[in-house]
This record gives sequence, C-alpha cells and structure tokens, in this order.
Amino acid sequence: MARYGMALDYKNCINCKACEVACKEENGVELGAEKHRIWVGGNNPEGAWPLLDMASASFLPSQCQQCDDAPCQEVCPTHATYYDENGVVRVDADKCILCSYCMNACPYDARYVDERTMTVDKCTFCSDTRLARGETTTACQNTCPTKVRTFGDLDDPESEISELLRTRDHFSLKAHLGTKPKLFYLT
Amino acid sequence: MNFIKKIIPMKDFTLKSLMTFEKTPLNILMFILTIGLLGAFGWGVIEYLIHSHHAYNVTREHPWGLLIAMYIFFVVSSTGLCIVGSLGDVFGFKDYMAMSKRAILGSIVTILAGFAVIAFEIGHPVRMLIYNVLSPGLTSAIWWMGTLYGIYLTFMIIEFIFLMRNDMKNARIFGLTGLLVGLAAHSNLGGVFGFLNARTISNGVFYPTYFILTAFITGIYLTYLMYGFRYKMNFPEEIKKGLIGLAKIQTLLLAILMFFETWKMMTGIYGGMPGRADVVEHILHSGGFVYGEVLCGMLIPFVVMLTTKWKSINLYVYASFIGMIGIFFMRYDLVHDTQVKPLQMMKLTEYQLPPKWIEYFPSAAEFAIGFGAIGIFFMLYYFGQKMFDLDGGDH
Amino acid sequence: MCYNTHMNIIETSRRKFLQGSVSLCIYATSALSSPWQTTKTSNKKTTDTPYLCNMCRNKCAGYARVENGLITKLNPNHNFPKSRNMLCPKGNAGIQAIYDEDRLKYPLIRIGNRGDGQYKRATWDEAYEYIKEKLVKIIDEQKDNRSTIAYCNGEGFNKDEYIKFFGSKLGSANFLDEGSICLNTKLGATQLTIGDVGEMDVAGSDYMIISGANRYESLITPDSVDMIHSKQKLVVLDPRCTVTAIKADEYLPLYPGTDLAFCLSMMYIAFKEELYDKKYVNEQFDDFEKLKAHILSQKYTPEWAESKTHIPSQKIEKITREFFAASNPLYYLGRRSVWSQNDFQLRRAMVLINALAGSVNRKGGIIFGQPIKLNDEEINEPLYNNAEGRFDLDGIVYGSQKGGSWLNFREKVVSKTAPYPVKAMFIRKHNLMQNMPNIAKTKKMLEMMDLVVVLDTMPSDTAMMADVILPECTYLEREDMVVSFNRLEPSLALRNQVIESLYESRSMQDILKGLGKKLSVPLFHVSAKYDEDLQDSIKEDGLHKAFVEGGYDMAELYGYNTTQRNKRLITKQFGKEVYNSLKEKGVWYPYMDEQKELFNDFYEYYPPEKRFYTIDKKYRVNAYLKKLEKAGFDAMPTWHKYYDFNLHEDEFRVITGRYVTTTQSATANNVMLKDFEKENYLWINNNNAKRLGIKTGDSVVVMSSVSSIVIKANPTNKIAPNVLWIPHGFGIDSQEMTNAYAKGASDNMIIEDKFEKIYGCATMHETNVTLRKL
Repeated sequence: MARYGMALDYKNCINCKACEVACKEENGVELGAEKHRIWVGGNNPEGAWPLLDMASASFLPSQCQQCDDAPCQEVCPTHATYYDENGVVRVDADKCILCSYCMNACPYDARYVDERTMTVDKCTFCSDTRLARGETTTACQNTCPTKVRTFGDLDDPESEISELLRTRDHFSLKAHLGTKPKLFYLT
Repeated sequence: MNFIKKIIPMKDFTLKSLMTFEKTPLNILMFILTIGLLGAFGWGVIEYLIHSHHAYNVTREHPWGLLIAMYIFFVVSSTGLCIVGSLGDVFGFKDYMAMSKRAILGSIVTILAGFAVIAFEIGHPVRMLIYNVLSPGLTSAIWWMGTLYGIYLTFMIIEFIFLMRNDMKNARIFGLTGLLVGLAAHSNLGGVFGFLNARTISNGVFYPTYFILTAFITGIYLTYLMYGFRYKMNFPEEIKKGLIGLAKIQTLLLAILMFFETWKMMTGIYGGMPGRADVVEHILHSGGFVYGEVLCGMLIPFVVMLTTKWKSINLYVYASFIGMIGIFFMRYDLVHDTQVKPLQMMKLTEYQLPPKWIEYFPSAAEFAIGFGAIGIFFMLYYFGQKMFDLDGGDH
Repeated sequence: MCYNTHMNIIETSRRKFLQGSVSLCIYATSALSSPWQTTKTSNKKTTDTPYLCNMCRNKCAGYARVENGLITKLNPNHNFPKSRNMLCPKGNAGIQAIYDEDRLKYPLIRIGNRGDGQYKRATWDEAYEYIKEKLVKIIDEQKDNRSTIAYCNGEGFNKDEYIKFFGSKLGSANFLDEGSICLNTKLGATQLTIGDVGEMDVAGSDYMIISGANRYESLITPDSVDMIHSKQKLVVLDPRCTVTAIKADEYLPLYPGTDLAFCLSMMYIAFKEELYDKKYVNEQFDDFEKLKAHILSQKYTPEWAESKTHIPSQKIEKITREFFAASNPLYYLGRRSVWSQNDFQLRRAMVLINALAGSVNRKGGIIFGQPIKLNDEEINEPLYNNAEGRFDLDGIVYGSQKGGSWLNFREKVVSKTAPYPVKAMFIRKHNLMQNMPNIAKTKKMLEMMDLVVVLDTMPSDTAMMADVILPECTYLEREDMVVSFNRLEPSLALRNQVIESLYESRSMQDILKGLGKKLSVPLFHVSAKYDEDLQDSIKEDGLHKAFVEGGYDMAELYGYNTTQRNKRLITKQFGKEVYNSLKEKGVWYPYMDEQKELFNDFYEYYPPEKRFYTIDKKYRVNAYLKKLEKAGFDAMPTWHKYYDFNLHEDEFRVITGRYVTTTQSATANNVMLKDFEKENYLWINNNNAKRLGIKTGDSVVVMSSVSSIVIKANPTNKIAPNVLWIPHGFGIDSQEMTNAYAKGASDNMIIEDKFEKIYGCATMHETNVTLRKL
C-alpha cells in the first residue's frame, strides 16, 4: 500500500523522447504517433529571428496525472477504470466497453485506444510491469538522460519525492478542475 | 401469432400483405431510399466487423463522432415523440389523443434505430450489458442514461400495448412513468456532456435542459412528417386540429430555444475565457451552426409557422423536414463542438503547427451506419403501420 | 506472438530477395507489418545482461532484459561513469533495430545491376568463394599491389581489428573512416595546438560557450547530461534555434560560418583588456606575442565581429568578460561534421581561447586525464613489397594518417588521377551513399569497382551497390572486445552478448575469420608470384614456414573466439575481479564500491579528489604553426573576406544537422523512431518563406550546382534568413528499407563536394542553393 506520485523537474526536459520510447517498449504500447501513454509537448519561441523570445519556448513532459479525484474514473459506466491499492488509476480491460467517455472526460488527453484489445489504455506507472516485479522506478523515470522525473510514495515522508515536494515550489496541471493530480511540476 | 394478438391487437396481415404497398411515386422513392439505407447500414457494419474502429475516423482527441451524434439524434427523436404522444394519453389534451399511438410507435422505433447505431459505436456492447449489471458505475451519466433508456423502452412498449388495447387507464400510468423515465434518461444524456468539467463549452446545466426542449421540438417536427406521409397532405379535420396546435407550441418552443442559444453564446463569449469564448466564436463561424442549426433548425420553421396564420399545414410539413435537417446539425455540432478544443495545446512533434482545432470528418463507414440507421427507422415504422392500427385516438 | 511474426518474415523476405520482385515487396510489407511491434515486459524477475549500446557513437551502457529468448526491454546501466545511468530514445529503440524486418539475414550475391537491389541468397561459403575469386584476380592483375583494395569502416567498435585484418594482414594502405566527414579538424586542431586531443570537462565548467554543437539533440555522454546538472552558465551560438539554444542561459543567433569572427573578437577583447590568464600564458604558450600582435593588428574588434556575425558588439564584450572572469570557463570544441574552409582555424581559435583562460589540464577545461591503457593483441604482420602507399592525403597539409580523406580519395579515384587503380572495396557499417556530399559521385566511384563487399546489418543504399553483402549481427547478438573509455573518470566496458545471432548473421570477427581462412593461401600464392622477398623466403624456409612466419595467415587473430580473447586479455592485464565485473556489470572502474547516489538515480562515480583533472604532463600551447605557413596557409586563426556570409536575396546557404531520434542514416528504418519524424523538413526562415509564398508542408525544389531535391518546407522563425537547414538521414533510396524508402530528402544529394585542405575534411556548410515552390 502506497500512494504513488511523480515529481517532474520539467525545466530539465530536453524533449529527447527517451521516456516515450522506454514507456512503449516496457509496457508493450502500440507503435503509432497517436498511441502514447506519455509525451512531451513543446512551444515554439515567439518573435522574429534573431530576437526570439526564448522564455516562451518550453518543454512539458506529460502523461496521466494520476488524479486523486479522477474524472475518468467517475464517468466510467462499468468501473473499468479504478484505483489500485497504490492509488494508481488503472483500466481493467475486461470491463472496458469502449464507450470512450473517459477519453472525453480526461482533462489531460491522457487516454487512447489500444487497438489490440479495443479498450482504453493509459499510463499505469508501470504497475503491472516494473513495480510488479519489485522495481522502484518507472521506465520513463529510469531512462531519462536528465532525470526529470522522481517517482515515489507520497505517503512516505522519508521518500525522495516527499522531500522534494516539501522543499521545492511546484504546481499541478489544470489544478482549478479539482482533479487533485499526483503529478507535480517543480519550478 | 394468436397468442401475441391476445396481448396486443394487430391488423390482419400476411407476409405478402406486409411486402406490398401502393405504388405511388413517393412510396417507391421511400422504398428505394429505405433499401438503400439498409444496404448502406449493412455495408457499414461489415466494414466495422472487418476493420473494427479503424473503419471510423474517430481519434484520440475526437473519440466521439457521427455515430454518437446519430445515436443522440435518434434518442432525442424518441423522447420527443414520447412527449408528443403523452400530450393526449397522459395529459389528456383532447386534440392530441389521436396522435398517441403513432407517436409512441415512433418513439419505440426511433430508439431501436438509436440502439442499432450505438451497438456499433460502443466497442463491446455485450460486455456493456453484462457489466452494466455486475459492476454499475453509479457516478456515470452514461450508466444512468443507458439503464434508464432500457427501462424507458420497456415502458414505451407496455404503453403501446395498452394503447392498442385501448386500455387508456393503464396506458396513462405507463405513459407517465415512461415519460418521466425517458426525460430522466434524456437529461442524463445531456448530463453526459454537462458533466465534462474539462470541456467548458459543454460543462454545466445547459445541455440537460436543452436536450428536453429540443426533444419536444424534434418530436413535433417528426409528428408533422409522419402525418404528412400518412395522409399524403390531405389531413382529416381531427388531425388538423392537433397539428395546428402543435405548430403553435412549436413556435413557442423555437422562440424559447433561440433565447436559450443566444444566452449560451452570449455568456460563453463574454469575458473571453479561453476554451469557452474561442470555441463559441469558432461555432458562430461554422456553417453547420449558422446554416444548419440556426437557419434550418430554428429560423425557417419559426418564420414559416409564425407568418402563415396557422393555416398552411402542408407548408409546415416541409418546414418540419427542413427543421429535421437542422436537428441533425444540432446533434452533430453538439458532439463535435464539445471536442473541438484540444486539451493538449503543445506541439508533440517539430513539424506540427500547435494544435488549434481538432479536425474530424466522418468516414464512409460512419456515414453508412449513422445514416443507414434511418433506413432501420423507416423499415420498422413501415412494418408498424402495416401491423397496427395507428389511426384514431381515444374512443 | 512477436517471435512468430518474425519467423514469417524470414520466409517472405527470403522469397523477396530470391525473386527480386517489386510487387512481392509490396505484398510482403502490407501483409506482414503489424501495427504493434513492442512486447510488454512480464512481472517476473529476470537476470539481465549488461551490454553496450551501438545505436550511435556514444556506447552507453545498458542492461538487456530477455524473456523467452526475446529482448523485451533495454534499461540503462547505472554502473557506467560515461553514460550516467541513461539511455536515449535511440538506445531504447535498439530492440527495433534487432527485430527490424528488413534486416540483412543471409549472405547475398548480386544478380542484377548495381543499385537495383536484385540479389540471390548464398551460403557463407559461396559468398567467401565469390570474394576470393574476384580478389585473387584483382590482386594478380595489380601485381600484388594490395592497396588496390580500399577498405572503410564507419563504426568505432572493432575498427582497430578491422584495420588489422585489411591493413596489416591483407596489406592495403587505403583505409578510410568517418573522420574526414566528421570531426578530424577538431581533433587535429587540439592535437596540434596543445599536443593532445584531450577531453572536455563539461561537468566541471562553470561557464560554457557552445558554437553550433547541438548537445541536446545530438546527445553525447556524459556532456549532454552534465550540462543539465552542472549549474554553469551556458551560452549558445547557432544560426538555428536548436533545443540546446532554447535551454541555454544566453542564445546568440549568428550567421553560419561566422563563429570564427566571434572567437577572433573574443581574443581581441582578451588581449585588449588583458583578461587572459597571464601566469598560464607565461608558462605554457609558445609564440604568444605573435598571436597577440596578429589579433590586435587585424583589429578584430567587437564592432567588426558584429558586422560579420550579427551578434551585437556589447553582447560579445559582455560574454568575453564573463568568460574570462569565470573560475572554470570552457569554450566547447564541438564534435560534428566540418562546416567550412575555416574550420581547422575555428577549432584552433576555440582551443586558444581555452588556453588563454588557462582552461587546459584543469577542472572544467580541456583535460588530458588518464585513460586506462589496454594492451594490444600482437599479430604477425606480413610485408608486401608491392603494396603502394595511400594517395588520399596528397595535397593535404596534415590529414589523418589513419582515416584519410574521403573526398580527396573519391575525387582521385573517379577522375582516375590516383597513382594506381582502386579495384575493390570492403565497406563495413559505412553508408557511403548517404554520408558524404554529392551522392552521384559516390555512386560513380562504386560503379568503377570490380568488387564491392558490404558488411552491414541493414540493406542500406550502400549495400544496394555491393556485389556481395555479408550480414553482420547487431550489437546485442555478439560479444565485442573490451574497450577503455574516457580520461577524467576512466573506465572499462564490455559489450556482452545478449542473444544468439538471428538468421545467418555473424559477428565481424566471425566474418573476418571465415574470409581469412578462405583468402590467406590463395592470396599468399599471388604474392609469391610477384614479391621477390617472399620468393626468397620460400626458397630458404619452404612454403609452409614462409607462410606461417611471414604472418600470411589472415585468420591468425581468430584462433580463439571473442569471449576467450577477452578473458585472456583482461585477466592477464587487470586480474579476474575486473573480468568478472565486466561480465556481470558490464563495467569496471577503480572506485565502483564507492559509487554513491547523489539524487534520484543519478550517481557520483569517481570521488572528486580521484578524478584526473590535472595530470603531470609537459606540453606547450602552439599559437603559431610553422608547417601551415610553409604550406601557404594561415599559421594563426585569421579571417578572410570570402568567409563573409554575404548572399544574394534569392540565394540560400544549406546547413545540416540531425534530430535527437536519428543517428545519421543508421536509424532511418527504425520503426519506433520513425514515429517521431517520418520524414525530414526543410527549415526556412518564415519571412523568406512568406516572400516566396511557401507554407508549412509545401513541397519545394532545392537546387545546387550538384543536383536538386524535393522536400517539404517548414517555415520557422527559428532559423536565420537565407539559411536552410536540412536534417540528415532521410531520403533513403534503398527499397529494401521499407520504413525509410523515399521518405524526405537527402542533404548530400545537393551539398557540393568541397573539402578543406588542412585535414581533407568535407565542408558541409559551404553550399549555396536556390529554391522554388513545386
């Protein structure tokens, strides 16, 4: 029993896509640009060369925000989307009827259709792969060249992530929606 | 057969009489149209069975497409016809008594057409039936909507049986319950969109109420079309009276709808809130809204009905046809506009302009299944007419 | 499931190759390419195999997870100081390189014309036999001039062994590698200026200037990682707003090819304001006064530099002052292809700026360090009296004696001005048809050969020009010889074999062993025909002894397999524990037991006091190179008028680079990486594009004096006006590369084949073009 979360030192992200490939390989995610559990978004700098507004160019790694109050879970008609014992938002493929309501309800565009099972799939924090065999990191965190991500138990005050959240300013995406994400962006 | 006839009175018919009809040009046109639509539906289903969701143009960012819109189109029609049918047998308005049977049959066949569409939209419809019961998601508007529509359909069938048996007391009881369940189901369908916190354009109370209002409007349009077809524009007096009454109600409803829409757009655009104001602006600039929803769905029927001194029933039939085109756009736009604003606004690859509006255009299979289901409606309605005596109200 | 899919593909692909039918090709890809080709890892614990990555030149360390004989995941190896517990996107996508459906699976012998892709499947022995017959004929015709066989290798690993085989054993002087289309000027400039190629201590630097090197998209370990984690100030100069520029503390956009003007001005300010490290200069510099006088007299003022670079003069002053005021400043020397004629002096200017700041042989500068020296495996080298010397360095001032000059070589072969004909080529992991300017000329060169043999893993454009294709296995299917890495935190690393090699592919060692066994005796007899010394020794010692003692057994090195050789070599030099560490952890360095986690899976390797920041070494800083002056070139960094970026309104300068998800053309077919960039786009300044009516995604024709290409446009504010950026590694012409074929365009189709004369390096950024909307 833990309450897993992730802190992202997102300003260190160099948009190299290593996390995305690692995620796909670890979790057997389908190929194809639309099929991604995690991604990195980028903004083009504003302005005209050579006076470019570099502050407007940023990279934001994103994925399922593992909300404590997840809209996708609330709208699921069959409880296919559920919280596992570690607070991770998961999908039970056997129960998913592919009504796609969760895909519409998720404010983060974090869900997609797995064409093999024709059910909705999403980030699992590697719960059924790495964590299931006792590892303590997710594939994305582990491979990251600049170690953007810190993964850990939010309920454990001794954990590295708890320490980070105590000492560093952070924000959540679309916090005003009240979804209570467990992904924290460090500033 | 006799056993069924004991439960529900039917006309005498043979397989042959079911298959023959008067060869008027309109009937032949309708026949060809129905066969064509059914063929399209069949082709679409085969496409879907072969390619599964690849046959559709729905995407990660736009998971709901034409089929959801058509499903809504049909269930809104059903609810609307249920309301119209209830006017007579539930609420006792004498003028509309004669319409109950036809309207309730209409509400049954439209929802069946809707279910035919949704069966090929939902990825796993059988699984849905199982887990809807075994693992009910009570916080889900889709669960309530689906479950209530199931109950609604049951009540509608029972009401129809009592109507056919001329058991008006029981018809009234089941009619009222059915109507309430139907309205609950229908407002839940509005709630499916209204609950979407992340989609500011749809979030809130608007859609659940709007759905009921537009259902009524749709019901009246369809009643006009059904009667126009039934009487080949030569309406008997008793029907005329009811239809005129409906036209007056329709005008009022359209006026209310126009105020609804105006205020939705006004409040939406006010303050320039991102994700809402820009979407409203986008909607106001789209042809579907301007020509489809506003012009066909509201303005033309409204003006026609208001300016003809409640005399030109025939014209109202045509206006209702135009109105139904508008209703289609209302359903389509409602689905599309909900999803049109990207939730993820950053570029994911270098050679991408930052996402601005989500693009969607239905695939051939979606068109085939979505519009093909109109053929199912035609077919079921045709058989219904042949099998049941739908004329005459309270006796 | 995944495995079965691949079994099917073997069959289909074999038919594909056998029949050489285009229609079948299409059938095979559409019917068999499954939309998902990843395999989810299981929840079971496995013992993972340490390996070294080979997706690019970095060689990061990883652990491979294998389930039911299938590699399901590659993870970073936290033990390796160089790669800092990371794997990049390409490293992660290595699985897709192994299980690439288009891989070369069997030896193939050409049955059609060169380039049309028609081959028949052969056994290894048939392939060797084919090569033998051709080679014996060629060497006989050339009267035992072994240098008629050129050989090349674009892959760092096993290169020395490859040279031993073709250079020492076969006896050819004509070895070519990627250096002359890559970074030889930088290596040379450092070597000639401070006596050693050194290593840049990015982590230790508190102020770093980067000219053009795009360290966040062209990842180099540990530099790219250290840049993020060190709290240095980063200044980036680039005509293009790269990710590195975005991440910099200060981005200075400039015109291409004008970095030297910036450097000259930095020196000018340093001299003028006496910012340089006087103590260091006094102790280490030769010809300091000459340099100072030269820079000052040329008046390389910030205002002058502004007129060349477009960087405001106050910025240049500010950066220069900050740089020289920093404790450990570093002007990053880069490591990439050569840009223009001034490249050697540009790199030298960078080295000199570091030296003026005292940033040599100390923390945060160019360090000499102490690499771990591995003993060489000695072999007996035959002497061929009739083998002539190399000719590709004729007319080049310095040049790399090892890897030579590709463009000069090709020019001399094609124009038949070489002193003797080159008749055969052995090409290993070197995509000649993509990697150097003016592809048409490379094609012509290969067409002139009597024999072209390609050792590769993929049916590249170059493989399609071969007479014989020998399928090498990929890096996860073989053990390679142990390698020593780095100077500041030196370590040893071993590429262990993860799975048995797939299909009939073989390791380079096994291929050379087979070739050696086949060729040794027949080629020995050719030598015996022409070589008088050999004839004498046969007379004296008899045939057998002359063969053995003369070192003519080409497979000599391969009496033992790689695992045995590694064990012998490592155990003998370092002991059993080091060997065990390399087998179990893939890595060894002296302080492994003290390795500690700093934060979040990021480690400290060498304790700071044990790192080789400063070593006891005698060296001089050579400000003035007399040899250059004698040869008629600048002895010191100097600006010339023709370096100016001065284009007509309708003219554009082409520059190149690559995406973070591509390694030149080597990853072109990787199905995972293709998801990110399916094709390349031409970057064009948005104002230029507007004037020409070009919109995003429009096809444009780009024309140079060499050829033209059609490519989609990406109008952007991220590039200087009148500059075009073409990402490299696209526009693959081999139809056998089904994911890559005809996607995008190849920069080298239109880049003119010019080369600078100090190192004979291809200058990639000197081509002016015109363009129009298609």
